[in-house]
Amino acid sequence: MPVEVPKEKWPGSVRTITLGALPSEGGTRKRVVTVGGETAMPFMHFEGEIPNPPVVAIEIKDRKPDDWSPLLLETWKDVIDDPAQWAAAAEAAGADLIVLALSLTNRNGEPTSPDEAVASVKAVLRATGLPLIVFGPGQAEADNALLVAVSEATKGERLALGICEDKNYRTIVATAMANDHLVTARTPMDVNLAKQLNILISDMGLPLDRILMDPTTGALGYGIEYGFSVMERLRLAALQGDKMTQLPMIVTPGFEAWKAKESKVGEGVPASWGDWLNRAINWETLTALTLVESGADIVVLRHPESVKRVKAAIEELMAAKSLVS
Amino acid sequence: MSRYIAKRAIRGANALVREAELMLNRALKEKGEDQKVAFPNTAYYLPLIYGMTGIAVEKLEDLVPVIEQAKRLLHPMPSDNLWTPYLGETLDSGMATLLAAEAIEAIRFVYGLQPERMPGFTLAGGTSYPELDAPNNGRVGHLNGPIDDIQLRSWGIQLVDGRMPGFAAIVGAAKSNEVAVKIVRELQKRNILCFLSGNVNGRSIIHQLIEEGVELGYDTYTVPFGTDTISAIYALGFATRSALTFGGLKPGQAREILLYNRERVFAFVLALGEVDDLKYAAAAGAINFGFPVIADTVIPEILPTGITKYEHVVSMPFNEIEGADDLEKAERLVQKCIEVRGVKVKVAEVPVPVPYGSAFEGEVVRKNDMRVEFGGKHSRCFEYLFMAPLDEVVDGKVEVIGPSFENVEPQGHMDMGIIVQVAGRQMQEDFEPVLERQIHYFINGASGIQHIGQRDIAWIRISNNAAEKGFKLEHFGKILHARYHSDFGAIVDKVQVTIITEPELLQQWLAKARAAYDYRNKRLADLTDDKVDEFYSCTLCQSFAPNHVCIISPERLGLCGAYNWLDCKASYNINPTGPNQPIKLGKVIDPVKGYWTGTNEYAKIGSHGVVSEVSMYSIMENPMTACGCFECIVMLIPEANGVMVVSREDPSMTPAGMTFSTLAGIAGGGLQTPGVMGVGKYFLLSPKFISADGGFKRVVWMSSILKEMMAEELKAVAEREGDPDLIEKIADERHVTTVEELLAWLEEHNHPVLAMEPMF
Repeated sequence: MPVEVPKEKWPGSVRTITLGALPSEGGTRKRVVTVGGETAMPFMHFEGEIPNPPVVAIEIKDRKPDDWSPLLLETWKDVIDDPAQWAAAAEAAGADLIVLALSLTNRNGEPTSPDEAVASVKAVLRATGLPLIVFGPGQAEADNALLVAVSEATKGERLALGICEDKNYRTIVATAMANDHLVTARTPMDVNLAKQLNILISDMGLPLDRILMDPTTGALGYGIEYGFSVMERLRLAALQGDKMTQLPMIVTPGFEAWKAKESKVGEGVPASWGDWLNRAINWETLTALTLVESGADIVVLRHPESVKRVKAAIEELMAAKSLVS
Repeated sequence: MSRYIAKRAIRGANALVREAELMLNRALKEKGEDQKVAFPNTAYYLPLIYGMTGIAVEKLEDLVPVIEQAKRLLHPMPSDNLWTPYLGETLDSGMATLLAAEAIEAIRFVYGLQPERMPGFTLAGGTSYPELDAPNNGRVGHLNGPIDDIQLRSWGIQLVDGRMPGFAAIVGAAKSNEVAVKIVRELQKRNILCFLSGNVNGRSIIHQLIEEGVELGYDTYTVPFGTDTISAIYALGFATRSALTFGGLKPGQAREILLYNRERVFAFVLALGEVDDLKYAAAAGAINFGFPVIADTVIPEILPTGITKYEHVVSMPFNEIEGADDLEKAERLVQKCIEVRGVKVKVAEVPVPVPYGSAFEGEVVRKNDMRVEFGGKHSRCFEYLFMAPLDEVVDGKVEVIGPSFENVEPQGHMDMGIIVQVAGRQMQEDFEPVLERQIHYFINGASGIQHIGQRDIAWIRISNNAAEKGFKLEHFGKILHARYHSDFGAIVDKVQVTIITEPELLQQWLAKARAAYDYRNKRLADLTDDKVDEFYSCTLCQSFAPNHVCIISPERLGLCGAYNWLDCKASYNINPTGPNQPIKLGKVIDPVKGYWTGTNEYAKIGSHGVVSEVSMYSIMENPMTACGCFECIVMLIPEANGVMVVSREDPSMTPAGMTFSTLAGIAGGGLQTPGVMGVGKYFLLSPKFISADGGFKRVVWMSSILKEMMAEELKAVAEREGDPDLIEKIADERHVTTVEELLAWLEEHNHPVLAMEPMF
């Protein structure tokens, strides 16, 4: 007896967004990255199109990070205090994109100056041909001071600047608008708040195809199910035709997973937890893959091995496409 | 539109366009059509012309079509015996004036007449002119001329992100040097950028400020453009470039650029001294941008709104302004400018001598730690907020009338009244109670201050610690002023607070306040569902109940009890993209069960298609969904032909065989379950409470805590229902915990439900 597979027909689709600009487009990138465009839930190839696979970004810092796991420091070794070398190493490790997270202070413990931030960003742009996302240190005043300088110094590169939040988005959006960049918009795990921030940002005049939304997530075991369900609902709303949720999603599982106890702590844990490094990588990989399954378009990771595994899994999920047609 | 203004603006425009044309023709002859034309350091050519017409002027000949366009915008003088609205003609003339003015300045640059020379003057930061500024040239003193792109970016971004509230284009000369300085200082104090230009009989505000030693330039946010009116064009070039840079707009999108400025750039023109034809024409140009004009002389006003957000032209003759001296008058004048353009004031910090923040809200001041109290057992304290016309409220004024508490014995008490007057363009009388209730939270935020209650049962304590740190009565006012601006800036423009301890005055105000409370109570009682054409949605709880949506009507408050219709209305005005959105009712489908086309449509959207219909007044058919925050659960008891009401605070067993917490699982989660509903406790008192199913008389069982908490109100409901003993007939957990007991109770007390129709 033939079985009819029930199919969902969606009226809406996710916007297609391109990060980075080629020399012919006013930038200096060797390649650009396009995300979004889905007309079905993640990897439901039989219901619609998944034209662009989710991509993996590697997070690097402008100097040796103070609070990263020794496992990560050990892995990246020599490049960890040089953003340019680090970016090149990240590209070699298979990153589709680079996320450069600026530090609040420089190597001397003084506040990072706009000039230093610009120098780091420019060094990274020279060292890699990949599109770049730049995050401020996460404090409104510092974010605005550094990102405005970075934005002006890299006009036309189509960087994504972050992180816009409801309390601080105007400056970042204004400078992105003036210098042809994108922004990432973060809200704390809530569909309506995500929508509202997208509305506020687009109200300022930034076209929706220059906004990535970051619905925030938790690591495996630390609220990922909540994050998963918010992302799933955002994606459902997008496919149902709600314009203000039709933006590709970026999430930071690397940041989340590496602050979980399971990846952070190597001693004094039950032996049954197994090898520390392996466990930490598993944590990051599983967190990222869960989010990819819930609709993430960009996952930001920290360990090269996790990158390899997540990319392999995405490839397999995308390969299912051929089984459908 | 004032015919007088129209006439003078049209005349001024005709003259200036003619002058521009003559200058251009001469320049073409003398310098040739290929002569380069540019403002310094800008990528926007002649920015206003570029933005409005899309023409990128690079050479003199490029100005020819610009002047042609300006000429097409000119109109003949209005006839003396035919009256027409003139608005279109005046705005056209204004635009023609702007095009001509920018062309003239560009030609002056060609002749080396711009930036205007001012021997001996040095800018405190400004557009750079290497040939003039080079030290080996002996440094030629000059004014700024147009703003360059670097500064545009720095200021433009601040205008967009709100750090800078707006700019003032000041044209002319002030009454005296002293007044000029005061005006500029008042604007600077508010972070408002000042652009200076123009003169009256040869004397400019620029001269006045230089004479007084005021530093002018980018560094001090006061930019001297030039001492003639034409140089005011640089302000509009700046505005145009802001829209192009930060508004994502393209050259030639004139309408969009003008609208962008009207909506987002809080600028205004302050015309000081006599207004001539050219100034009228330029003012008409500014109005195109939505920038109103305030004059300190007698000119005809244009008060109706339309192009600008509020009034177009306001006359405020300097000598007639209230104020002890010229300085106070200047202050008032600036205040007026801010009002007319709707510039919002920001108060960064709450200026009190004790720590302030929401962390202190729950703090208790015990008797032993207390310096003084107002209200409570031994004294009277009341608070009263009302709206007043904008001119009657002096923003930031805090007045204490009567003695302070210095002479009150430790742990003593005294009477106090807190009177708050607010004014705002968006303020409505309906928001008064909503704002007044905030006093509780605002005052509680101060460390060492405790606030309980509201209206005339307010009770405030000041701790010894706070008093020692210097907390005084006036600080109540400072707190309220700061917080109303920061939290309710969208509806409140001005806040003035009066603290009264003087006994006689206190009694007078208490009487006024009580009259207002009564009035508000009545208003609330009169505010029924059939008197409004919109309800409000509330999606605050969708973060955990994704498909639940509250629909809040005047007679049905939110199930959490925290949001009523007025709260939602205020919340929507403060935060138009927030969780409370108006729901237009549309057509009535069923007035008894409470169905409207609008509410049904919204139910579908809000629940993401899960719920397709919601009845506002029935528990049996499509009842409203619930998140989980309800104060009470209402549930059908089929055997009793009625409903029970269980309070969240009641842990005991109910006749349904379940406790509140078990029931909550059935009622919550955004599901529509006929026979079960989560409600706010005050909804029980509403005439619309399950009115389609028989109303309050259906209540057969009710947690005793509700009976106690709302004894008075329930009594009134019983009277309304025509059965004064009704509440005694309703069972509660003290006597009845099973259906059998309930049925016996109903028989015994002859509950009206026995005689009612079956519920289903």
